[in-house]
Amino acid sequence: MSVSDVNIKRRKGKLEKNYYGYLFTAPFIIGFLLFSFYPLIYTFYLSITNTTLMSETSKIVGLDNFKQLFDDKFFMQSLRNTWKIWLLNFIPQIGIAMLLSIWFTNNRLKMKGVGIFRAIYYLPNLLMPATIAVLFFNFFSMYGPVNQLFSQSTDYFRSTGWTQGIVIFVQWWMWFGSTLIVLMAGMTSISPSYYESATVDGASAAQMFTKITLPLLKPILVYTLVTSLVGGMQMFDIPFMLTDGRGSPSGSIMTMNILMYMKFSSTKGHIGAAASVGVVIFIITCVCAFAIVRLLRDKDPEGTGVSSKVKSRELKKGAAGV
Amino acid sequence: MNYSLRTKIMRVFIYIFLVILAVMCILPMWILLVNATRTTPEIQQGISLVPGSNFVANWRNLTNRGFSITNGFKNSVTISVGVTVLSVYFSMMFAYGIQVYDFFYKKFLYGLVIVLVLVPTQVSIIGFYRYMSMLKLTNSYIPLIVPAIAAPGAIFLAVQYMQSVVIRDLIDAARIDGCGELAIFHKIMLPIAKPGAFTMGIFAFVGSWNNFFTPFMLLSKIEKYTLPMLVQTLRGDTYRTDYGSIYVGLAVSIVPIIIVYAIFSKYIVSGIAMGAVKE
Repeated sequence: MSVSDVNIKRRKGKLEKNYYGYLFTAPFIIGFLLFSFYPLIYTFYLSITNTTLMSETSKIVGLDNFKQLFDDKFFMQSLRNTWKIWLLNFIPQIGIAMLLSIWFTNNRLKMKGVGIFRAIYYLPNLLMPATIAVLFFNFFSMYGPVNQLFSQSTDYFRSTGWTQGIVIFVQWWMWFGSTLIVLMAGMTSISPSYYESATVDGASAAQMFTKITLPLLKPILVYTLVTSLVGGMQMFDIPFMLTDGRGSPSGSIMTMNILMYMKFSSTKGHIGAAASVGVVIFIITCVCAFAIVRLLRDKDPEGTGVSSKVKSRELKKGAAGV
Repeated sequence: MNYSLRTKIMRVFIYIFLVILAVMCILPMWILLVNATRTTPEIQQGISLVPGSNFVANWRNLTNRGFSITNGFKNSVTISVGVTVLSVYFSMMFAYGIQVYDFFYKKFLYGLVIVLVLVPTQVSIIGFYRYMSMLKLTNSYIPLIVPAIAAPGAIFLAVQYMQSVVIRDLIDAARIDGCGELAIFHKIMLPIAKPGAFTMGIFAFVGSWNNFFTPFMLLSKIEKYTLPMLVQTLRGDTYRTDYGSIYVGLAVSIVPIIIVYAIFSKYIVSGIAMGAVKE
């Protein structure tokens, strides 16, 4: 070992202040334990009790709340509604976003004004959901602009189909711009040399898309899918404020989160039952999210198998922590 | 020749499609803003794209019926500023800790943050509500502001960002000059990380500004209501026939955001991409 090596070591030893890592991350750990972890555990606990808002005493009733939940046709309806609304807005959302980002990044088309279009498409995502809900309620009301435009007097909020359609449209409208930005960022980060050599080999545009773009975009697609799923399963604001807050007409836009709120705000304030809805949403979302990450991540075609394995291991470790 | 003609025709169709989409995004907001300036009979007669002159009267109608919009505005600003400051500062602090030091549960912590981004945390609201009511903190802004010190989304962004701006040599040089670790973070790293902090700040602010669910669960006193909660009451019976004032109320809630977006759209767009791509 040369003298300089020793010197570097000593210098490093002097500068090693790794214990500060504990200090810098402590606020997060404390905040997480107090405001996320404990409420979550407490919600799990409440879900196996018969606690109500008024009663001071409560007792553990085991899985009774869950049994009732799965016998409850309202819950099954809210489960179906949530999935239906999410899927029907997510599929066109990713479809349009994909189409737009292909156009926007295409070298042959050389589209102009991409930045402006993109900025406009993202705008609905920034607006207050409360405002959007009240706005669309007014647009589609009996004497609202939509009826004026087509000189009709359809009562949209009496029809289950229309109401679901409006929620799906609003959700799509709010989120396609955000998805577009994410996908475009993914596409522009793919090295152009792949496409150049594919062109030299005589690949068609469709082949380039399925053989280069899609596989390399997979991590981004997984990210989009999972974050949208997590948001979609907790959908509340738009369906809650668009009609009466109970998913009217006939429960057609009652999501699981709305049902949770209805149980919580009912005259007796069934906290235990409401908590059990929360727990079910939590479990459904986590299982689906981790299944998607596992299924789609580990089959990485790019030979970056090592890093993806490390990542999924990290995820697993973290999951054990939650 | 033929080939380029086809491309040209395709481009025309694409532009038409893009413009239709853009109109779909802007038109609802434009009608909202225009209607805020029109009288209720005018609004009921039909759509117009030209502003009217009834804004002041609509505003008076709205505020005279006990719609305390300035109060709601103030409440929303208080909460959003608090959330923004706490989440940016503590996320940067966490990110710095993760990127600069090597300690034993570092990898686990980072994994935990990724998991938390992917986990629905809103569903623990029932436990959170009960816990806060036991601490007598409902109708207080503490449960709305303080949890921002552990916001996984902001932390995730901060860690990605910090990775690209941390300069080890600079930190080492500062240490040799006798600068303490906290001082290095505050005086050297935070100024360097300003652009990222700014982008994160916009997201934290908008997220908190638009948040309806948490305040709705926790606040019951009307004088504590935030703007989204007040906006929600516009749907109710008090204003059902007075469309002019409904639209004014809606306009007040979105105009600040539109202004912020008009100025900072570049930061915002790059911020969304930041979270996804570097992963």
